[in-house]
Amino acid sequence: METVESKVKDQLDVFALREQFPVLAREVHGKPLVYFDNAATAQRPLKVIEAMDDFYRRYNANVHRGVHQLSVEASEQFELARDSVRRLLNANSVREVVFTRGTTEAVNLVAQAYLRPRLKSGDEILITHMEHHSNIVPWQLLCEQTGAVLKVAPINKQGELLVDELASMINERTKLIGMVHVSNALGTINPVEEVCRIAGKHDVPVLVDGAQATPHMAVDVQALGCDFYCVSAHKMYGPTGIGALWAKESVLEEMPPWQGGGEMITRVSFDGTTYNDLPHKFEAGTPNISGAIGFGKAVEFLEETGYEGIVWQEERLLDYATEKMQAIEGLTIIGTAQHKGPVVSFTLEGAHPNDIGTIVDHYGVAIRTGHHCAMPVMQFFDVPATARVSFAPYNLRNEIDIFLEALDKARNMLA
Amino acid sequence: MGLDQLYQQVILDHNRSPRHYRRLEGATHSARGRDALCGDDILVELRLVEGLIEEAAFSGEACAITTASASMLMDWLPGRCPEAVLTAYEKFRDLLDDPASADCPELGPMNGLRAVSGFPARVRNALLPWRTAIEGLQRARGPAESRCD
Repeated sequence: METVESKVKDQLDVFALREQFPVLAREVHGKPLVYFDNAATAQRPLKVIEAMDDFYRRYNANVHRGVHQLSVEASEQFELARDSVRRLLNANSVREVVFTRGTTEAVNLVAQAYLRPRLKSGDEILITHMEHHSNIVPWQLLCEQTGAVLKVAPINKQGELLVDELASMINERTKLIGMVHVSNALGTINPVEEVCRIAGKHDVPVLVDGAQATPHMAVDVQALGCDFYCVSAHKMYGPTGIGALWAKESVLEEMPPWQGGGEMITRVSFDGTTYNDLPHKFEAGTPNISGAIGFGKAVEFLEETGYEGIVWQEERLLDYATEKMQAIEGLTIIGTAQHKGPVVSFTLEGAHPNDIGTIVDHYGVAIRTGHHCAMPVMQFFDVPATARVSFAPYNLRNEIDIFLEALDKARNMLA
Repeated sequence: MGLDQLYQQVILDHNRSPRHYRRLEGATHSARGRDALCGDDILVELRLVEGLIEEAAFSGEACAITTASASMLMDWLPGRCPEAVLTAYEKFRDLLDDPASADCPELGPMNGLRAVSGFPARVRNALLPWRTAIEGLQRARGPAESRCD
């Protein structure tokens, strides 16, 4: 008998993929776990878990400091991970890849070390209405510090960026454009390349929040034409607490250090300090070594799985869920962009997202409810919160059926 | 505690047709309670006369647990003084902390909300109406002398 999943096998062996994720075998409230909260954080494959375990078991040491063997091995693996991230983004050189705690820290680094010295009162920072708080608040802080003004490019009812409107908002006061590549709350995939082309004509740098992009699509920072690209490992099957900032070497060279401490110096005296080379200039203190190693392995995991198969499976899941959910009376999908990642945000008449979340959890289904750290998006669609399912390639269409059954129970219970 | 206890009939009934769900004319005390994370946003309005709550109402948008808790609380408040509300709040919190604790007769149907203790992520929903009411009472307390005895 030909099943849905045997067809999937042609493109991506989803069951073999699932074997790599031990957590998927567990039960929740006596039911098999259905993990649909991948946009909040994805699960980790064995490759990542074992590499981090191996570091602590066999060669835990500080990096770039010791002459002893363990430190040499740790430094080697740490820098190999950096090269993996370079490959992930198709960056020119590892000197362009700065490890951070995640996307949020990367945005803050650019705000404070790049933009702040260039900003004067009345200058403008342009972002979009669909940004995550991590690409709003750092700029608001910067505006408070400098007297600059935050401008917001509008979106339409489908949750798509109005590029022409954005273009018309660029002027001689615009000092940076910050935009999300893939919206976590709506799923919208933004035309980053087009915006970069427009911004380039005005010599305005573009920062891209790529946290939700790298799990789902090949990213090439050179082809995109952006100036800064920020990522988080945990959204793409790596550990939490580690991410990266990419920027061109010449830009990073010009920027002053952000935080001071060990690792980011070459010589310190009380008369003055010489800063370390790129990218270490921006990595003060002992870094998250195991995190970086895990991050590197997450990149390898994506390379081995292949974006082609990932996209193929995720599109199937998105199409299937969208079709089924559209047919549910009283259900409204928030975010219906033409180009969309595997995210379905929704509201259901008579059922608050919070109650939906609790009830489907009882059936083993993990979904996200609330504002998704994108409160301006909620305000735009005039909803206090939404429920959201977000998929990874290890999810199955019959898991969507389980979720829909649970959703039906929630609706009946609350009706 | 199972899902059926959390969403038991009495709670669902209060959610479907919340009591005292309206704006209160002549309110002397009010506060807005928001849970940014899950989107609950309620307004609690109280009218105090000579240190006693005469009338209580709430409005806004919230999940079933917050709505039911607010509905029951608004039912319970009239005739009480601010100190009594604070004392009862302690008892209510104990109830949500320990599912094995004995019923608190004073809290009446609100004892049904103890099932929330089995859903730690939802405890704050049951508490929100209480916290909001207390904030309202404390904020404009001033000359509104209590008549607790």
